[in-house]
Amino acid sequence: MLRSSVAVTIMVSLLPLTALVFLAIESMGMDWGSLLTNETWRDSFVTTIYVVSVSTGLSLVIGTWLARTVVQKGWRFLSSVLRLPMFVPHIAAAYLFWLLFTGMNGIGWIEANERNYVTVILTYIWKETPFVFLMMLGTYEQLNRGYVEMAKTLQLSPFDQFKHGELPFLMKPLLDSAWILIAFISFAYEIPALLGVTYPKLIGVLAYERLSTGLYLEATEPYAVALVWTCLVGIGVFLSYVLTASIRRRIERGVRR
Amino acid sequence: MIRQGLLICLTFIPFISLFFVVPSFEIENNMAIVHTIGLIVILSGINVWLSMMCAWWLLWTDSRWKHVIEWLVFLPLFIPMLATLFGLYLILAEAGLIGTYVGVTLALLVVTIPYSIRLAYNGMAVIGRPLLEQARILPSRRRVMYVLYPLFSRLMRTIALFTTVILLSQFALIQLIGAGLIPTVTTELYQSYAGNNRGLALSNTWMLILFPVLLYFLLSGWDRYMVRMLKGRLQ
Repeated sequence: MLRSSVAVTIMVSLLPLTALVFLAIESMGMDWGSLLTNETWRDSFVTTIYVVSVSTGLSLVIGTWLARTVVQKGWRFLSSVLRLPMFVPHIAAAYLFWLLFTGMNGIGWIEANERNYVTVILTYIWKETPFVFLMMLGTYEQLNRGYVEMAKTLQLSPFDQFKHGELPFLMKPLLDSAWILIAFISFAYEIPALLGVTYPKLIGVLAYERLSTGLYLEATEPYAVALVWTCLVGIGVFLSYVLTASIRRRIERGVRR
Repeated sequence: MIRQGLLICLTFIPFISLFFVVPSFEIENNMAIVHTIGLIVILSGINVWLSMMCAWWLLWTDSRWKHVIEWLVFLPLFIPMLATLFGLYLILAEAGLIGTYVGVTLALLVVTIPYSIRLAYNGMAVIGRPLLEQARILPSRRRVMYVLYPLFSRLMRTIALFTTVILLSQFALIQLIGAGLIPTVTTELYQSYAGNNRGLALSNTWMLILFPVLLYFLLSGWDRYMVRMLKGRLQ
């Protein structure tokens, strides 16, 4: 029974890769030149890069800082409270933020739907920080404090203490979290569709709308964009893991010893 | 203390919106609730089963394919969900599964299973091989009932919860693969939002938040009952 379950899991896991093959086949007739020069797609691409970098960067920094603080200060109650946003579905979170920033009852600082995508970024930070927090919490709980103590003895600045005593051990969970978030946020529909604006749309929203308003099986453009975006994320994942391979291996060996 | 209080307030601020408008408490589409509950039960069950089995196999196997399979099951985490969805749409259209319950369930399984395996694998790694190794000397039924179930019950609850939250977050997937024929609470929320009916949209939002909460309490109660019963049997 164990082997057959593993076989089923492998088959299910192969489906996303097969899906990419289908996307490649479907994108074959694409005029790539027109796609690259299309202003709508280009504006969407730039806005998506901006939203993804700010949301992912801030979620990583805040999540890591929270995990560090919770472990150092032993704040167990806060640790439980911080997990709560994870159990709110994304679409419900988006609607809560929409209500928060709209109408007479809402906070009047910014509009719910505005060109700078502030509410989209805030929603992603609120939803994804707990994920980063949990990924980092495990690492911080197992972290050998000896390295930080040694850095303190050597009278390094607080930033250097973090850089030499903690950061190398956070490399793997940080990389994992960063790429999971980038893949998730960059090509999503629900949150930016609810909180975004009509122009420029985030790339996921634009692709989905082009697909769902056109002839589903003949819309090559959205399929091509999905493929290109996946390739970009894939190249990023590959390069970052290859470039940090030696340091991650050294840390794993050190921990085993 | 002040810093802790401030962080708790920041976490809770978005929940204030739940009380801005009076929810309508009207249920427009009963089938949406039935479909949502059905999908939660089926997908949570399949996810818990497959992910626990796969993580267990990865933990103990000496196969030279271990690393390849490990990469293969975690790789979908790095593929954007909408890209997977577009490709799946093409595959399921070829198989004639668009607009069917099976197609939607399969697509949801594809997007949830990598997260579940990751959770199961990390959870088992935290419990550690030595403890699990001791359990392996017991006959399989006793091993599962008296050691593995109490050890993994919280992990299984987390997997079921995550599956539920991911499922409830999916509008594009259910709309595209279900071809608009399989309504869920999520698709209803979008329609009520587009129709500018705030009361109805808010009651759907309440439902989306309450489903995971209810599931959490149900599974916690079940866990507590089972562990108490098993302890009673051991005494």
